[in-house]
Amino acid sequence: MLESYIRSYNDAVFETDKEAAMAVVNKALADGVTPENIVFRLIIPAIEMMMAIIEKDPDANLAQHFMTAQIAADVTEKMLEKFSQPPEVIGRIVIGAAHGDLHSLGKRIVSGCLKALMVEVIDLGVNVSAERFVDAAVSENAQVIAISAMMVHTATGENGSQRVRALLQERGLEQKIKLAVGGAPYRFDPELYRKVGADAWAADGVTAGKMIVNLIREVKNDTA
Amino acid sequence: MKQPNVTSESKTEEFFKLTVKSPGQTLQIAANSTTSVRLALDTTSLRVRAACGGLGTCGACLIQLVCGDFNPPTVTERQRILPEDLASGMRLACQLRPRSNGELFLEYPAPHSEWKSLDASDLYEPSHHYPVDHHVYGVAVDLGTTQIRLSLWNRKTGRRIATRYGINPQIAYGADVLTRLDADRLGDFDKNTLTQLARKAIIDGLRDILCRDMGEVSPILNEIGKVLIVGNTAMLTLFCGENGDNLYQPENWQQSIHCQLTDVDSLKLAWRTPHANIAIAQPLAGFIGSDLLADLLATAITEQSEPIMLADFGTNTEIALWDGRTLWATSVPGGPAFEGIGLRNGMSGEAGAISKVIKVDGAWQYQTISNASPRGFCASGYVDAIAMLVNDQSLKASGRFAEPLSTSGFRLDADNAHTAIYGGDVDLFQRAKAATAAAMSQLLAMSGLSKNDLHKLWICGCFGQHLNLPNAIALGLLPDIITERIRVLPNASLAGCEKLLLNQDSENLVKAIYSRIHVINLSCVAEYEERFINNLLLKPMPIEEHD
Repeated sequence: MLESYIRSYNDAVFETDKEAAMAVVNKALADGVTPENIVFRLIIPAIEMMMAIIEKDPDANLAQHFMTAQIAADVTEKMLEKFSQPPEVIGRIVIGAAHGDLHSLGKRIVSGCLKALMVEVIDLGVNVSAERFVDAAVSENAQVIAISAMMVHTATGENGSQRVRALLQERGLEQKIKLAVGGAPYRFDPELYRKVGADAWAADGVTAGKMIVNLIREVKNDTA
Repeated sequence: MKQPNVTSESKTEEFFKLTVKSPGQTLQIAANSTTSVRLALDTTSLRVRAACGGLGTCGACLIQLVCGDFNPPTVTERQRILPEDLASGMRLACQLRPRSNGELFLEYPAPHSEWKSLDASDLYEPSHHYPVDHHVYGVAVDLGTTQIRLSLWNRKTGRRIATRYGINPQIAYGADVLTRLDADRLGDFDKNTLTQLARKAIIDGLRDILCRDMGEVSPILNEIGKVLIVGNTAMLTLFCGENGDNLYQPENWQQSIHCQLTDVDSLKLAWRTPHANIAIAQPLAGFIGSDLLADLLATAITEQSEPIMLADFGTNTEIALWDGRTLWATSVPGGPAFEGIGLRNGMSGEAGAISKVIKVDGAWQYQTISNASPRGFCASGYVDAIAMLVNDQSLKASGRFAEPLSTSGFRLDADNAHTAIYGGDVDLFQRAKAATAAAMSQLLAMSGLSKNDLHKLWICGCFGQHLNLPNAIALGLLPDIITERIRVLPNASLAGCEKLLLNQDSENLVKAIYSRIHVINLSCVAEYEERFINNLLLKPMPIEEHD
């Protein structure tokens, strides 16, 4: 029975049809499938399938990224409310757009995927100062700070990632908190992430999900 | 260039086909019995010589009748043309109007120019004017990202002498406003180049009018008393030779920023307009230029009693909504998609751009601007093609092609690579239309209105010129209201600039807009993102809860 739900849910995600995806989930719930099974057997495999497809597709459609991530986040959120026990989370990150940057959609894809991957996401919004990133990461006990920058000057600006790196260094937090970056300028120059002091970057929102999960594991292994 | 079938209003008069031959060129034009052959030719690349602005006083626009029925010679023609020439079918193009299909021969066309005349029907018509006695000429300029439009006025008589539009040469530096400002940030050399390109283009367009419509240049330049320029913030910043840095400060987003010409004397010297007051109509806010202000003035939006939405499409699409009390305004990065640029075969609305696409009995048919051989698509061509692809289910609402595309893309004409559409083009289009549609729905939500309350939707900017409204609605680019409520006003920005140029109390006109306007920065509106994603599918705009 679950197999047919998986198939129709995958179809709905592939068509980026949120209503259809929701309908499949609601029918599965009504048929007695547990919210836990819906998340772990439907939603997570589907987002991983989309990641695999998008990674291989050179002409990957950004509009589809947005819609897929939103479906994953929305459905997951609805299911988490129904879990009999609080879900076990992999880790926690703070995310935001760099100082001076008002672009918010890039980080939205990352957030959507991470939520479906059981990572807690604290979204600090746009135009976030370096101090706020670090303070929030400390107070929220996050393993990763993720900074999105869509313009060259916000990616390389002295109040952006570079300043976050300096603060992490000053406060001796470099083992506990990793720095991830993403956004258009990093795609034009794949070495740029090093220049701004980041630990890793990803070319698109969906692969960023994987990269951040790896960083969280790294921190947990280092500090274990 | 005007499409007779875009709005129901313009379907008034029968159009005749005229073949015009000249030593280097033959073309077909459409004209009705109220359009002079000169005006019909002015929008093409084959123009007549002239030095009087179409009054018939210079006699320079001689053209030979070959066949067809035309109006009888006017008094002016009898005065200007030798009787034997008149008897042999020689006429003045500015006086000549067709009454049937026909053919003409133009032996001495005007030298080739990149500048063409605008259809003046939606430009400003002064009901009264304030005569100016000194330096009577005035120039209105709409400095657009891809096109520059301008008109020359005699402010003493309140008469428009001529109009011109041409491609903004800055386009070579990147179609996207931000790309261009990025170029601006590269250094003083590039910044200066961009500034000079815009300034030179404006004076080139003006000189084109003076050479052809007035027959003299320097004496008229000397008599120009005012030049008024509207444009988006980025263009005005570049025109002024300012640093674009202030545009990048988020705090400047919602407040007005001041564009100031720092070297007005050297500009007057370069333009040879010693008496011109060169003025910039100030932007409404960081990313809402005075081109939107001009649209709002041209349409007198705040004087309307019913809810009205106005959208000026471009690299930055500016949207305003009048709810009877408040004028809500915002702008979104339409992306270069609406300028036809950034897409693999995208181009602006120049000769050879595919501007209309239809499917007849399963076969693709398309129309290009100036009927030239296809070089690519302008935005309206993409709208049509994508709508047709969705309609026959070759393209899914998600933006994915039903069958994987080959590396040569989806071609309207299998033998022509310039007619290909790629997956990435669809993606770019989806995001541009979603940003626009989400902004429209956000403003509606903030004003407490629904799209059914909209009495009118005005589409400003050259984007609307060739747009097929039902297709735009089917893809969710425009709200699904009946097309009779939608009006296309390609020249609204220039019309508003003319209104400011000729009105004595222009300050009060501007104040009336400022006192009603409420600028929204969508980056600070959390629901906007949700709306953006909900509008990505290639289907009509989703129904909102309050609809």
